[in-house]
Amino acid sequence: MFNQNGLSLDQAPPFGVVLRFFLSGGVFGVLAGVFVMLFGVDIFDASTPQALIVTHSFTLGVMLSFMFGALFQMLPVIAGVKLLEPVKKANLLQYPFVVGTISLLVGFYDSYNHTLLGIALVLLGGSISYIVYVMLSNLLRVQNHSASSKGMSVSLIALGMLLLMALLMVLEIMGIGSIDYSVLKSTHFSFGLFGWIALLIISISFQVIEMFYVTPPYPLLVSKYLPFMIFGVIVLSFVLQVVGVSVWGFVSFVLALILIAYAGLTLYRLTQRKRPIADATVWFWRVGMSSLIVSMLFFMLTHFITSTTIDALSYITFASFALSIVFAMFYKIVPFLTWFHLNSQGYLMAPMMHEVIHPKSAMKHLYIHIASLVTFVLSVGFGGFIYLAGVLLVVSFGLLTYQVIHAHKLYIHTQQTQERFDMGMGG
Amino acid sequence: MDKIILDARDLEHPKPLEEATKILRELDMDSYLYMLHRKNPIPLLDLASEHGFVSISQEIDNSWHIIISKNPDINLQELLDV
Repeated sequence: MFNQNGLSLDQAPPFGVVLRFFLSGGVFGVLAGVFVMLFGVDIFDASTPQALIVTHSFTLGVMLSFMFGALFQMLPVIAGVKLLEPVKKANLLQYPFVVGTISLLVGFYDSYNHTLLGIALVLLGGSISYIVYVMLSNLLRVQNHSASSKGMSVSLIALGMLLLMALLMVLEIMGIGSIDYSVLKSTHFSFGLFGWIALLIISISFQVIEMFYVTPPYPLLVSKYLPFMIFGVIVLSFVLQVVGVSVWGFVSFVLALILIAYAGLTLYRLTQRKRPIADATVWFWRVGMSSLIVSMLFFMLTHFITSTTIDALSYITFASFALSIVFAMFYKIVPFLTWFHLNSQGYLMAPMMHEVIHPKSAMKHLYIHIASLVTFVLSVGFGGFIYLAGVLLVVSFGLLTYQVIHAHKLYIHTQQTQERFDMGMGG
Repeated sequence: MDKIILDARDLEHPKPLEEATKILRELDMDSYLYMLHRKNPIPLLDLASEHGFVSISQEIDNSWHIIISKNPDINLQELLDV
């Protein structure tokens, strides 16, 4: 948000557009915590509807909401893309997306109810493919691409592929499709976790680690080729699987090694800050990158040992990776946007960024997040901990939702109570 | 003209923006902000322009030199440390 492309006032999306995606992400997070409490350790058995419900509450409800909010904010900034009529586009995306997600979750719960899955297929397919098209077509028109904007483009293509696989899978469930379900499932999985979530985080990190934390940039070789390498490996794997060559084991091993190297490099970069200050967001990045390394180590182990425990640990730590980075970005974006929009409107005595969300509050959230991670890990061995993990998840996302509402209230309160001031023409 | 220097090259986000806007609030017609930054701070320049300030930014020896003033009659180019 703060690079040479910059966030200019005429390009910045309205404050509410970003916040409301963060709000729906927070609410889905609370819902996911409630599901964990209701379903208990059944969520660790990937073949159960309970596992599907919790997984999609996170990946769709939480991650996609936050990532769409962040994309609306960061596309103008990182890529210089100006999305026309952002409120209209956000409406066309968010309402069908929320209803479609709920429909999918209830459809899973109700023994794969075909009607509900069909509604989800139409609503999610329509809204997500619409926004992927809008964002991608704008990105492809950019003249001067950065490593981040290129990576974002590739990750959006991966989101499109992930969606296509999901639609084909629903058709299979409804008895309409004719493609091998296991191929669709592994491709859906790899495009989702590696191609969409990991790739988008990697692309954004190329910009924000250097920018926010005053570190040396990533090596050019990494920022230039890593996103394409990851995407290329996934596509190649899919093509080979379609023609009957099973290479998923080898490919996932390679992807895991790539992600471990990337996470190690990011952790190293964070040791190279010029003037380090205590900041919860740095710790969220550290927890996220460490979780990614552990997740990928467990993931590689699953190729040698068949164990539901190792599978569960791999999923938990991957979720911790993604959520940690979401939280890190959230605590940078929300205070900045509140401050920036108010200042640009002339409210020069508007709350400073640390007054929008106090750093101590972000630090408390970090502790809750770590406690949640630890209890999830413990619950794999000691089932009783799962209920505490669910409670902590509700608290974690409840706090996040509160921060969104608080920032919005502060924004409105400042507009209503403070005088607009022009620095140049006034006193 | 009084030169108020802000070297923000090693400051982590959001300090450079916060410190710079604090200084802008205090500027008068006889003073200007001279900021050094590792990037061109577009949000700050945009805010300044929105509020009627004049500004210039130029990259010199891997650092961005940014000058912002309330006085539209001064030649900012001449004030650059080149």
